[in-house]
Amino acid sequence: MINLVRNEMLKLLRKKRLYVIILIIAFLVPLFTYAQFKEIQEQREKMGNQDWRTVLQQEITDTQNRLSSSRIQDEWRKYLKIRLSQQQYYLENDIDPRAPGAPTFMRIFVENSIDLLLPLLVMVIVADLVSSEASGGTIKLLLTRPVKRWRILLSKYIAMLMSVSFIVLSVAVLSYVISGLVFGYGGWNMPLLTGFAVSGDELLTDRVHIVPQWQYILMEFGLVWYVSVIVGTLTFMLSVLLRSTAAVMGIMLASLIAGAILVNMVSSWESAKYFFMVNLNLTNYVSGMATPIEGMSLGFSMAVLAVWGLAGFIIAFVTFSKRDIY
Amino acid sequence: MKKYTLTIVSAVSIAATLLWLFGLGWTLQDQFTANEKFQKQKEKTESATSKKEDGNLTIFALGDSLTRGTGDADGKGYVGYLSERLKKKSEQDITLFNTAIKGETSRGLLKQLRQSEIQRQVKQADVIMMTIGGNDLFQQGKVLESLDKNAINGKKQIYLRNIKNIYKQLRELNQDAVIYHVGLYNPFSNLQDAKTTSSIVRDWNFQTAETAAQFNNIVYVPTFDLFQLQVENYLYSDQFHLNTEGYKLIAERVASLVHFEQEEKNDE
Amino acid sequence: MSNTPALEVENLTKKIKRKLIIKGVSFTLYPGEVFGFLGPNGAGKTTTIRMIVGLISPTSGTIKIGGKNVRTEFTEAMRHLGCIVENPELYPYLTGWENLEHFAKMDPSIPKDRLDEVVTQVGLQNRIHDRVSTYSLGMRQRLGIAQALLGKPKVLILDEPTNGLDPAGIREMREFIRTLAREENLSVLVSSHLLSEIQLMCDRVAIISKGAVIRTDSVENLLAEQERVIWKAEPLSLAKEILEKETEVQEGLDQTLITLYDEPQLPIWNEKLVTAGVKVKEMRTQLPSLEDLFLEVTGGESID
Ligand SMILES: Nc1ncnc2c1ncn2[C@@H]1O[C@H](COP(=O)(O)OP(=O)(O)OP(=O)(O)O)[C@@H](O)[C@H]1O
Ligand SMILES: [Mg+2]
Repeated sequence: MINLVRNEMLKLLRKKRLYVIILIIAFLVPLFTYAQFKEIQEQREKMGNQDWRTVLQQEITDTQNRLSSSRIQDEWRKYLKIRLSQQQYYLENDIDPRAPGAPTFMRIFVENSIDLLLPLLVMVIVADLVSSEASGGTIKLLLTRPVKRWRILLSKYIAMLMSVSFIVLSVAVLSYVISGLVFGYGGWNMPLLTGFAVSGDELLTDRVHIVPQWQYILMEFGLVWYVSVIVGTLTFMLSVLLRSTAAVMGIMLASLIAGAILVNMVSSWESAKYFFMVNLNLTNYVSGMATPIEGMSLGFSMAVLAVWGLAGFIIAFVTFSKRDIY
Repeated sequence: MKKYTLTIVSAVSIAATLLWLFGLGWTLQDQFTANEKFQKQKEKTESATSKKEDGNLTIFALGDSLTRGTGDADGKGYVGYLSERLKKKSEQDITLFNTAIKGETSRGLLKQLRQSEIQRQVKQADVIMMTIGGNDLFQQGKVLESLDKNAINGKKQIYLRNIKNIYKQLRELNQDAVIYHVGLYNPFSNLQDAKTTSSIVRDWNFQTAETAAQFNNIVYVPTFDLFQLQVENYLYSDQFHLNTEGYKLIAERVASLVHFEQEEKNDE
Repeated sequence: MSNTPALEVENLTKKIKRKLIIKGVSFTLYPGEVFGFLGPNGAGKTTTIRMIVGLISPTSGTIKIGGKNVRTEFTEAMRHLGCIVENPELYPYLTGWENLEHFAKMDPSIPKDRLDEVVTQVGLQNRIHDRVSTYSLGMRQRLGIAQALLGKPKVLILDEPTNGLDPAGIREMREFIRTLAREENLSVLVSSHLLSEIQLMCDRVAIISKGAVIRTDSVENLLAEQERVIWKAEPLSLAKEILEKETEVQEGLDQTLITLYDEPQLPIWNEKLVTAGVKVKEMRTQLPSLEDLFLEVTGGESID
């Protein structure tokens, strides 16, 4: 098995896909760093040399003002209310959630890339893992070896897991190293709040507790990894089912983007919460953001993703071991 | 070299997998088990920030939409114009905190005053500006629904109790700052029933001024007379809030009441 | 040559979308034998081969490689098999060596020095460390054979191995296959739609048409029946008269006569013509075209 996995890793490396991914990240991170830097600068300019508490208080007031306007939508109102109580919580406990620093950037970057950017990167790697063997014809040589088919597929799956871990690690390292040039490398021990739960439009704070930022980041990266593995598994399944890598990418891309759109529209279509693509934003549960649909929670989303992932895994293995190869 | 890349990438990937698995496990443990109780960080770092800064006038504004500036094309409101005027007049830097919220009632304001950050800012203020009561009396810009004396009286009693508490709170937090409470005008003075509504507003203002008089350094600034005539020229299109001209009028009046020399003397 | 069979195919059928594509194919390969699988396009050669190598599952029938059933003892059966199905498609972004290493790793029983052996065997020493994407078709074909030989198989299956090769390449391939069979006692299954190719390479041939084997025989037997002699002589009418006394004669194109190929009789016929004063200008043997052969064995049924 180790030999098989080694083979798959070799092919992955030789196809240069991993390098492309690293390049993409290395290109995007400075972009976002700059954007973040600009934002902080603008805030500083607007607020003068004010204390962050004042700024946060101002935000709270702004939020309250927006809330009092009668024209805002119900969902938006709900979101604002949650945001509001959270901001007040930070203020009361003297925690600056936006202190600049590379770890903070990492956290913000990963929270924003969990539902689209990272799944896309994963998809680029995984989409042709099996389909390229089929379209390139090499599958004929691969499957006429004295190795059972499921073992071959399993080696590919393990290679997929490894490359997903590698991508997530690249995101972590690159975002830390590059943004640190601007924001500095400190801030690992900053306390952050987590454990918010939403029930109706109330923010439940009975489980809220403080964790140091490094733990918070590690937790978020764990979730990002989980989401990436699920997206990877589904892409993997499509890669088994379809010969054409372009078709695999097309379907994955469409569903991911549809997910990003749906999240903003589905609050009244309740059963949409069973789609995998509206459940990708796991980090929102940790940071206590509003859920797109009533009744979603970290446990729920993880379970939905697990079911999709498991189904994809089973479909992939069953079809691959049974299928005729023309 | 090529051989090593493969080994290194594989080893790193496996290590990363373990790390992320650990992170995921930790998340599950952290988010789904409640045993870890939250200890509030009660200790506040209030040292440097709660002191007043010298040579700098701090205006703290609170209250409802009038203080927020609803209806003003520039969104500044009387507080904005006032601070501009004061800046020119005093040649000092002015720091303005505006925590007013549209639709705020006296009850809401009292609640807001319980927030620690608001309290901290009140403590820092040199001048405090406020408007409140409009939403207690007029419900969201509607003409007084019924001109029923009893109902209005009930509202007034609640309001007066609240406003007294607000004054008390502010005074407790900050003994020195002069509080300017900008009074109510009658936005309906050009409509029928103007006589009745005007008398209600006048009475409301009078009672508030009486309450204010029980405290030190609270100036109740009347605005009723400013808009008694031709109120339509000063109203925003919602026929309730003021427009830019209206806010400027209030700013002018309040500005004439603020004296810095005196302020600074008080400070020293 | 007639000990235990290296490959046994029995009553193989395949249905794709309710259409019966392979209709009960059976044949047996013995060690050291080169077996030809001859049929026109679309006859079902590749489909049969795919079933033998386990890429598609047969609808019914059994396949045994070295006595192991492909369906029930897949890994054991595959250990005795090397194959190229259709084109030798290897990983273009890897070098030839990496490709071989890749496939060698999949079978732990392959020793490390086996790679050098097969590379020398197919004569790719000079280019083996270049990327496959830079290889010519002939080189890819060799690399394909090298990977098929990695596991020291008992059975080698080559689907149209001379496809796309130049005449020199075809000859080389032919000799290579013969050597393998002779020296390593390998059984080789070669599919082709060219009779000439099969004739020079194979010991036995199965002719397949529309998914069924219509005849299995040794090459000599098949050809002996079907080979023709073409005569060019003057005057033609006299020649025809004389030959018709001896055998069946047909008139061919370009003033020629066609008779059956009958080796012991040929000099006698020739002598008779010469003594009768006919000038024999040309006398050559001709293989029947595949089409002729089909017409012959199927009794007039066309290829499609
Ligand atoms: N996946 C498939 N679906 C439907 N029909 C198929 C499929 N694969 C093969 N066939 C049919 O089976 C028949 C045999 O095809 P096969 O590829 O085995 O022919 P062949 O003998 O290898 O021909 P060639 O000399 O052209 O390679 C053809 O008629 C083909 O149309
Ligand atoms: Mg074919």
